Amino acid sequence: MTFFLDSFQSAVLLILSLDRELLEIIGVSLNVSFASTCIASIMGIPLGLYIALNEFPLKRFVLTVLNTLLALPTVVIGLFVYSFISRRGLFGPLDLLYSQKAMVIGQVILIIPIITVFTVAAVSRIDDRYRKTALTLGAGALQTAWVIIREARFSIVAAVIMAFGRVIAEVGISMMLGGNAKGFTRTMTTAMALEYDKGEFVLSIALGIVLLLVSFTVNIFFNYLQGRSKI
Amino acid sequence: MLYEIKNLVKQYDDRVVLGLPHASLPSGKIIGLLGPNGAGKTTLLEILAFLLAPTLGEVFYQSSKVHHHESNILAFRQKVVLVQQKPILFSTTVFKNIEFPLKIRKQNRIDRKRIIEDLLRLVGMQGFKDAKAHHLSGGETQRIAIAQALACSPEVILMDEPTASVDVENQIIIERIIREINKDKGISVIFTTHDMIQATRVADETMFLYEGRIAESIHENIFSGFIETDETGQKYCVLLNQKKFQVQTDRNGPVRISIKPNLLTIRPVTEHPFESNTYQGRLLQLTHERNRIRALVDMDMPISVLIPPLVFATLSLKLGEEVFLTCPPESFEFL
Repeated sequence: MTFFLDSFQSAVLLILSLDRELLEIIGVSLNVSFASTCIASIMGIPLGLYIALNEFPLKRFVLTVLNTLLALPTVVIGLFVYSFISRRGLFGPLDLLYSQKAMVIGQVILIIPIITVFTVAAVSRIDDRYRKTALTLGAGALQTAWVIIREARFSIVAAVIMAFGRVIAEVGISMMLGGNAKGFTRTMTTAMALEYDKGEFVLSIALGIVLLLVSFTVNIFFNYLQGRSKI
Repeated sequence: MLYEIKNLVKQYDDRVVLGLPHASLPSGKIIGLLGPNGAGKTTLLEILAFLLAPTLGEVFYQSSKVHHHESNILAFRQKVVLVQQKPILFSTTVFKNIEFPLKIRKQNRIDRKRIIEDLLRLVGMQGFKDAKAHHLSGGETQRIAIAQALACSPEVILMDEPTASVDVENQIIIERIIREINKDKGISVIFTTHDMIQATRVADETMFLYEGRIAESIHENIFSGFIETDETGQKYCVLLNQKKFQVQTDRNGPVRISIKPNLLTIRPVTEHPFESNTYQGRLLQLTHERNRIRALVDMDMPISVLIPPLVFATLSLKLGEEVFLTCPPESFEFL
């Protein structure tokens, strides 16, 4: 217990001293997670909107596949992307392996199903009268889609926040595709795993505290949005 | 002609909800589409608003054929606007709701503000500019939806049961708005209702729909009943109020009937009823409809009776008093 308390005290001091290495790791984590969340949102929200508002063959099958992908293990994605971007892979010449770009690619694959499935759920709950109202008032397809997104905005933003929470906390993709290179691809989770392996708990606990604070902030924002949606 | 419809069919799976061989709707008028629930009124309005494509048939708008699946449908939609039965406003302010169609039509900021203020004045809601749309009552929402529709500067406004879910005060206001937008702005109005009295009061012309088809007149006094046959072979229709009427029909068992209000006779109870099919009821309501009087009689179910004015003058009917109502066999139509 004393060991833990000592480590915890040192970790807090490390955070308060704004340790350069710690800040670097936090920066990489936030940078990669924000990038992957933005890219996945740009792809997943319109995809969810299309699936929710249109009838097409195999719609149920597509939804089943997306729901299955929600439970996709990060190591499977890591392995899958690795096979494409390793030197022997299709995109090997692009030299993406062990870069932040590779981590973003993997994380985008991880969270596109989350954003899409929850956008489908959010849009399906929206009253069809909004669509009819927008159309009869003369809106085109894009303006109508914007009206629907606006009405479902709280649920869609909640889906995006949930996806951000998923990528900032994942370790498999970051480790396999990023390689945990100090200053380049070392994220909070990969650094924690490394420090644990080394038996160095101070940085590990400090990063754990920061990760919890990020999660806590995200949850406060999530609850705030849920509260707003009831108005 | 504003609309022309040819061989229009709307079908959901195997169920035909609308089947109109031919219909023409003139421009510049207030047209009432009358019919009971499930007659296909809303479906027809959505087709006329170019929101719904018919399964078969053709729709012409101002002599131009409408192709519902093609890109030019937006040009048709921007001439016509539908106010839904229970309109829904976007979750923002009243101002921004009315501004939406104006922004689509690329009106400048100053014009938008002026038009919105004019429209709010027209619907009697000047003070609601900054109110949250979702905090409005049903009647207020209906009026803002009308203002929003008018912001489109449409050639036609289609209204689905505009007064179905509002109180009497809002009903009067909405009927006034309908007349004003038709007379002052020259906008054609097509509205649906199941209220014969309202259609007579507001519409220049009426069209009757029943089970997805155009009917010559609206079926009134629609009830469910049961056909019984006595030992002499005479058939009787027993209604839900347990009243038994002689009828002429080949049918047996459960039936749905309409009692034609113009074939019924009504008399004060001072006279003794000699005819069969005569029952006592209470006179609940009397209204004047163009060239006839409509009486509503409570016989444990409300029955409408149409009386010629000359006959009415001889009857000395008083509201709330008991009357005899005779429903001759020919007044029963089997649906």
